[in-house]
Amino acid sequence: MKKFTWVQPDNIDEAQRQINAVTATIATGKTIQGAAVIKAGGVDLLDLMKENIIAPAKIVSINALPGLGKIGFDEKSGLRIGALVKLSDLEENAEIKKHYAALHESVSHAATPQIRNMATLGGNLAQRPRCWYFRSEDHKCLKKGGTKCFAQEGQNQIHGIFNTEICPCVHSSSVSTALVAFGAQVEITGAKGKLRNVPLAEFFVSPQVDVTRENILERGEIITALTVPAPPKGQKSWYIKQAAKESYDWALADAAVVAQMSGDTIKDVKIVLGAAAPTPYRATAAEQLLRGQKVSEKLAVQVGTAAVEGATPLAHNAYKVPMFKAIVKECVLNLV
Amino acid sequence: MSEIKSTGTSQNKTTSPAPPQKREVTLHINGKNTTLSLAPWTTLLDALRQYLGMTGTKKGCDHGQCGACTVLIDGKHINSCLSLAVMQQNKEITTIEGLADGEDLHPVQAAFIKHDAFQCGYCTAGQICSTVGMLNMKKGNSPAEIRDLMSGNICRCGAYANIFAVVEEVKEN
Amino acid sequence: MRKEKFPIGIPGVNLREIEREVPVTEPPAWPINDKLKHVGKSVKRTDAILKVTGKAKYTADINLPGMLQGRMLRSPHPSAKILSIDTSAAEAFPGVKAVYVLRSNMSGAEPKGGEDNGYPEIKYAGQAIAGVAAKDGQTAEEALKLIKVEYQTMPFVVDMDEAREPGAPLVFEQQVEQEETGGGGGGAKGLEQQGNVRGPSTKSFFGGPRGDVEQGMAEADVIVEGIFRTQVQTHSALETHGIVADWKPDMLTVYASTQSTKGVRSEMASIFDLPESKVRVICEYMGGGFGAKYGAGNFGVTAVNLSKISGQPVKLMLDRKAEHLAVGNRPNSWQELKIGAKKDGTLTAIKQESYGTAGIGLGAGVGRVAQAVYECPNFLTEQYDVFTNAGPGAAFRAPGNPQGAFALEQLIDELAEKLGTDALELRDKIDNSVVRKEERRLAAKAINWSRRKKPGSDTGVIKRGIGVAQSTWPRLIDIDSTAEVRMYRDGTVEIRSGVMDIGTGTRTILSQIVAEELGLEPEQISVKIGDTLFPNGPASGGSKVSGSITPAARNAAYKAKQEILKQAAPKMEEKAADLELKDGMIVSKTSGKTMSFKDALKQMRTSQIMTSASREDDYGGFMVGTFISHGDLGSVQMAEVSVNTETGFVKVEKIVAAHSCGRPLNPMQIQSQVNGGVIQGISYALYEDRVMDKNTGHMLNANLDQYKIAFSMEIPDIEVINIEEYTARSSTDAFGIAEPANIATAAAVANAIYNAIGVRLYELPMTPDKVLKALNLV
Repeated sequence: MKKFTWVQPDNIDEAQRQINAVTATIATGKTIQGAAVIKAGGVDLLDLMKENIIAPAKIVSINALPGLGKIGFDEKSGLRIGALVKLSDLEENAEIKKHYAALHESVSHAATPQIRNMATLGGNLAQRPRCWYFRSEDHKCLKKGGTKCFAQEGQNQIHGIFNTEICPCVHSSSVSTALVAFGAQVEITGAKGKLRNVPLAEFFVSPQVDVTRENILERGEIITALTVPAPPKGQKSWYIKQAAKESYDWALADAAVVAQMSGDTIKDVKIVLGAAAPTPYRATAAEQLLRGQKVSEKLAVQVGTAAVEGATPLAHNAYKVPMFKAIVKECVLNLV
Repeated sequence: MSEIKSTGTSQNKTTSPAPPQKREVTLHINGKNTTLSLAPWTTLLDALRQYLGMTGTKKGCDHGQCGACTVLIDGKHINSCLSLAVMQQNKEITTIEGLADGEDLHPVQAAFIKHDAFQCGYCTAGQICSTVGMLNMKKGNSPAEIRDLMSGNICRCGAYANIFAVVEEVKEN
Repeated sequence: MRKEKFPIGIPGVNLREIEREVPVTEPPAWPINDKLKHVGKSVKRTDAILKVTGKAKYTADINLPGMLQGRMLRSPHPSAKILSIDTSAAEAFPGVKAVYVLRSNMSGAEPKGGEDNGYPEIKYAGQAIAGVAAKDGQTAEEALKLIKVEYQTMPFVVDMDEAREPGAPLVFEQQVEQEETGGGGGGAKGLEQQGNVRGPSTKSFFGGPRGDVEQGMAEADVIVEGIFRTQVQTHSALETHGIVADWKPDMLTVYASTQSTKGVRSEMASIFDLPESKVRVICEYMGGGFGAKYGAGNFGVTAVNLSKISGQPVKLMLDRKAEHLAVGNRPNSWQELKIGAKKDGTLTAIKQESYGTAGIGLGAGVGRVAQAVYECPNFLTEQYDVFTNAGPGAAFRAPGNPQGAFALEQLIDELAEKLGTDALELRDKIDNSVVRKEERRLAAKAINWSRRKKPGSDTGVIKRGIGVAQSTWPRLIDIDSTAEVRMYRDGTVEIRSGVMDIGTGTRTILSQIVAEELGLEPEQISVKIGDTLFPNGPASGGSKVSGSITPAARNAAYKAKQEILKQAAPKMEEKAADLELKDGMIVSKTSGKTMSFKDALKQMRTSQIMTSASREDDYGGFMVGTFISHGDLGSVQMAEVSVNTETGFVKVEKIVAAHSCGRPLNPMQIQSQVNGGVIQGISYALYEDRVMDKNTGHMLNANLDQYKIAFSMEIPDIEVINIEEYTARSSTDAFGIAEPANIATAAAVANAIYNAIGVRLYELPMTPDKVLKALNLV
């Protein structure tokens, strides 16, 4: 870890004044003189610094900012989660468990109990990919401002099966798989308290737009909250994470299905796949198959198949195709 | 080696643009306040091991992946290697050295001995802190929940089965 | 010599008595365990309190006055020549006290013929180049970046299949050798070397080829064959390799995280041209080794040099990445195995050919299970090492054998199926080991073998299956194992030996042995080990500690007992021969007169009695010249798994592990060790895999998240069955259990997966992608 200075402002204006970079840009080597970045739980940030992937000159802890550590729920306005809420607090929240089962499930399988006690929701959304080439200082890949994606011709068993042409890294926040399926919005606070609310699905950036970053955060912007719409009547959700092992592991494939049911008929549904693409992947063709239908074993199988339609697996990850089929099918069957 | 300056509470509020390399950091560890002069990049783990000589907490991977460095912050178990010491001011830090009451072992420590829940012992401090953290959460109520909540600690010698027995026993009492 | 009657055999099966001639200095024969007070009992670990309170000091915890922190510079290139190294900027960096550049590579195979420019050639990414010692770690790390190395990069190959091809980049231009070790590292001398391939090795200490395999195959009614692959596994001990070196003009003291204090001492003495008496190696507590922690290592040589240059103690612990890259692994394997049998199951021939890569090292064989487990008149193995540009392999818990068992035990299963026989019945027929027969019986009962269904017959997405696998491990003995027992006037008793406790409980069993012999309680025995100031003990490896050091410990305690009884006899007005030690008292067997042990010690002529003893040769002689005791450590494991046939995910539900280790000394510790072996076996079977990038030559998962190890949720229900088996070979008749516990697991899991899904997996680890491929879903 390179040396840095550390500040912990107690108001957001000061924090914004201090921050002059997002972690993505300093990993590209086009280092901003004296780059200063946000730190919340610090889990991913410190890991990246210890791996010599980034070396910010200053760390701006936002932990003293007021009001970012609360979870609020109301049947009408829905859920509001402060950016500094720890994953373990989300996991323990009774309303989330009750109204947003898939979110609860995704959080409780994230990382380890220790990390869930440290990691914040904001940090989880802004974390960088786990691609082993990206995480290796010896590989100057596209994402780090290099000229080559090593995964294309290399070991790509943990990579994506959709949108793989430029950089097949998958977004590693499995919590966002569920959040996107619930139609969550990110609240971002910019300079002078300027707020913008962005659908989480649009918060993530695909490599076509900018391969060096995974989200739209601009310099000085801070994620302050995440909101999830109130659960419509008849909302049912399910989430499955499939990893190589059950303890502490990154998803090989994860899926969230959030449906609005009327009896056993599906009125509306969102199906999102994680660890499938550079951003959480909406399986719209699969959703289409389900809308207006009653769940059956046969239909669930078809939905699973439709979910991976158009997949372009790489040399070592074709197994993800049947794996996604299986977990999407399982999620759908669990709606009833 | 030791940079302990004084004891007593103090609080640092800093917003100065170019702070000095080292700063005073007051940590409340095992019921005692200790003020150290630390560089901001010093992890809590390094502060404990190198500056306070508290080597009971171990470094296994230094990346939050093995759990050997687990300590309790306000009763919750975290990886001290992924935490900066400077972040942990005004919090109750409990390490393996702070669990026993004098000669009287913490019930979890005693149960680790009874059930032979370690071999080489290098992961043990972390395993014990995770167990205590789980009990603090009032969790560990089923075999599946125990396995789930102990899933942040590697025991390469493979003492897991006996660690599960520890939790089951401590839960009963 | 005198004649002595010993128990032999398995209680409840074939226990009987045997008369053997033993040296007159040896203690009388012990009865079986249920007649002993401390031996064979689950005594709690003597070091338990220190371990649960964080007070046990590991190498990483050593903090000496004035100690510097060392860090190492490692190569970013998998193959290169070093043209120049400029350390001047690093040396001038404030806070830096010493910089040292390695002049040779200490690990892996050694090329014959010297280097040109004084720098070792770089043969893998992560190879050690230089070290820096500074006032703190941060300074040392910054200084490393100031060392300028000019590399001339060279072609490399990290994939074994590619390395075998003609025209592949040569890892070694010259012929190489690496001393063979009992534990499994290194290789036989003088084997042929072509390209990157060296071998074949056809012999083990069980001998060479037997009979004529072609003839045997011709006589067979049924032939089963297959090609099996296993992956590279890294040891991943939680405490990384490392030492604290303290160079003083009169003595080099080294605190090392090592399995062999005497091994480190002799290597350090030889490298630094010191007499062994001027090198002291200490390893009080150690955070796991599993075979990888022997010798001085590049890091050790660097640390000692840094201490020598700076005149201050230097601590140098590897980081997790270097631990994966540079200090050992279980080599991979490609193995073709063919077995011929008669209709009645009798084996007629076993033919094995294997290739494996230990990176730049030797020792990538597939062990000796195929040679030793079953009766078969015709046997041939040809095992080749393949060099690749990767870190050197090292002995890893039963080197070669889990690889060998993965193939052998799957084919034996296949043979049973072809013959229409139950997998256990076939083994009853072709395996003449008495202990494994009993283990099979007990394990089958524990797992309820009779409910085992036809392969793949479960309906539904999740299918369950049961499988079995067997193994063998020799009873290795290190004859250079000595213990010293001291009795002090204040009534205390101490045992000392250079042997260290890797976590298996060596301290505890030594206290049990001495307490048993002296009629004391184990907690009254102070155990001082892990220091070369004490007499040499065995290395903690090869499952040889119990068999090697406990007889020495008992013998030394027996000698001390003779001495104290001799001194007490006149005071009690008795003959020493009539006295015995019991429950803290000296008791006359004839008159019943007593004197407390403490009083006797108080009245000693000198303030202490010190006796030392080594291990006698095996009663009845060794089986072969390299100190292998008679008989084998036979094991049978059974696994129950569930397989999700849509996601390919395998979960091990239960393992029954039936093992023998001679006279069990501490059943609780044995159970712990078997649990550990099983868990490492499951981890090997399903998760662990070193991922190398062929294009850049780097290991991609040199960490503990992408290098996947079993954690708590991967742990099945494990039932350990421990067979008491007496062989009358030494004064304790005890043997180790570490290696046997780990050999059969992956094979048992593989057979259980086959039983579940009806399709066989030929490659480790058995991850979802391989299961899905086997099921034709990919």
